Amino acid sequence: MSLTRPYKITIAVLAVLVALGMGAYIFQLVGGLGVTGMSNGTSWGLYIAGFMFLEGLGAGALAIASGVTVFRASAYRAAVLPAVIISVVCMLLAGALVLIDLGGVVRIANMMLSFNPASPLFWDVCLVSCFLVVGVVFLYLLTSKRGTAASQMATARIALPIAVLVPSVTAWLFGLQIAREGWYSSIMAPLFVASALDSGLALLVLALIWLNRNRVRAGSERCLSGLAGLLALFVAVDGYMVGCEVLTMAYPGTEGAAALLAEMTSGSMAPFFWIEVIVGVFAPCLILAFAKNRRRPGIVALASAGVLAGVFCKRIWLLLGSFVYPNVAGAPGLISGSSSTQGVEGVHGWTVVSSYAPTLPEVLIVAGVFALGVLAFLVLAQRFLVDDVSSEEGLTDKGMLAVEREDVVASHEPIEASLDCRFGTVRAGEQERSQ
Amino acid sequence: MTKLAIAIDLDRCVGCHTCANACKMQNNVPMGMLWNRILTKDCDVIDGAVGEYPALARTYLPVQCQHCANAPCQKACPTGATYKDEKGRVEVDYDKCIGCRMCMAACPYNARVFNWDDPVREPGFDYGDARVPVRAKGVVEKCTLCKERTDGDEVPLCVRVCPARARIFGDLDDPDSEISRAALRSGAHHLLEEKGSRPQIFYIG
Repeated sequence: MSLTRPYKITIAVLAVLVALGMGAYIFQLVGGLGVTGMSNGTSWGLYIAGFMFLEGLGAGALAIASGVTVFRASAYRAAVLPAVIISVVCMLLAGALVLIDLGGVVRIANMMLSFNPASPLFWDVCLVSCFLVVGVVFLYLLTSKRGTAASQMATARIALPIAVLVPSVTAWLFGLQIAREGWYSSIMAPLFVASALDSGLALLVLALIWLNRNRVRAGSERCLSGLAGLLALFVAVDGYMVGCEVLTMAYPGTEGAAALLAEMTSGSMAPFFWIEVIVGVFAPCLILAFAKNRRRPGIVALASAGVLAGVFCKRIWLLLGSFVYPNVAGAPGLISGSSSTQGVEGVHGWTVVSSYAPTLPEVLIVAGVFALGVLAFLVLAQRFLVDDVSSEEGLTDKGMLAVEREDVVASHEPIEASLDCRFGTVRAGEQERSQ
Repeated sequence: MTKLAIAIDLDRCVGCHTCANACKMQNNVPMGMLWNRILTKDCDVIDGAVGEYPALARTYLPVQCQHCANAPCQKACPTGATYKDEKGRVEVDYDKCIGCRMCMAACPYNARVFNWDDPVREPGFDYGDARVPVRAKGVVEKCTLCKERTDGDEVPLCVRVCPARARIFGDLDDPDSEISRAALRSGAHHLLEEKGSRPQIFYIG
């Protein structure tokens, strides 16, 4: 197996990021969560935002994969295996971020030994575990010779409800908390499902475009433009729900909601809120509304990247906005408790409104987790997707990948001429086939 | 049943922070944390005032764990580390706590504090009541209603030390207790009544 130079460089950069992240995590294990920017006021930060984001990506991707299988949408079958790979990788990393966020990770066994069934977090752990098991089984059935169409269908039928339940239960971590103005809302679960679907699909579309460029997995142009249309719909639904929630917060004009809305639209959360609304909802919708745009992979990739950025920003404002104002207001307010204020004397450890900024170790850890995700995707793509294309007989057996393979090769001929192929093995595979 | 509770008479509270400091000492609470905070209500500076001169008002509001009858933190805790005990107190089993901080997100009163680092104490040794367990890095803690004292016949130290006698401690399930009579006084109210958490700390005035 020979790899091209840019590919090797990419792998090396990602590996360095992962190593830095692991180093930062060891630093955090030794020093405690005090090395992060979190405090008693803002007790969740970038880790939980990253968890919400990755969990959504994974659930969205699995929902697409299982939906395509369950409803026999054969035009999109080429997307199933990449989607399952994305879902397993993202959900594993989402779980990792929760563990990284724990102060007492050594006592994690208590989650099994003594659990509280009333806690949404307990159910979240259960469902994420189920998700991973189903995802891995699905991956196995899609890539092994033993995976029959019937077994894939059965797995997909289990996977689809789980892919909807995981973001729902994650939403209930927040939506059931009467303590927090911006979270306590019945729209949280549908909103999280909508965000999971649009962000997961956006990542899948990006992956397919990248794979197409490298002639690894062909989503064919029609598949891609169809997915782009679906993405426009999902984004619109997501944006609509945010609109409903904001209106319901604003209309009664209560004091707490007004303060939170001001924070979202013109305060510290404003950049995240407006990036989500403009880059994450309006721009992608406008772009993808036109069939002409949906046929151009570059434009679709741009819109998808916007959706991803928007959903990540939404995770940030949704999570952090509700920590800013304590319900019981008064001076001196909250006592921080975190190390960033230790050594600071007297009143500086106190704050009337809570603020948060991630520290370097926190950023390194999250960057390491995301780098690990890209790395894992590259490795799994190399292992499963590249081999698929180069092995002739494996395709029809699995019943998933035979669709429009010839079309794909044909339609991407001109693109290949202008693009650098990063997978050496693919080239070798193509050459073998042409011989 | 027993339903231990504290009533705080806001008309008597002088904002001296004695209860906060006694609590810190009794419970070996590390630097950067308090289980009991005395807020100057609706002000952004301590000992500030509300209104326009000469019509000024100042209310001190001591805030600690409210030992809710319908405790959001207890429902949210994934391991059952936070529990409601037989005396009606909300307690934390530090050995079960995994440090997920779900309870901190769930508490409407910001009553909980977290051991973000190895606890720092000045002076550099444990102080206070020897019966109080020492908490490790990575667990959450909060007012226990002085569990070690109220397991017996002692009252919580914040009640014991209050120089203005603003605090009343007792059993709400005993209709003849002083606190049950206090609960019937006009102006007796809960913090954030609308959240429906039914606190067992209540305020008069």
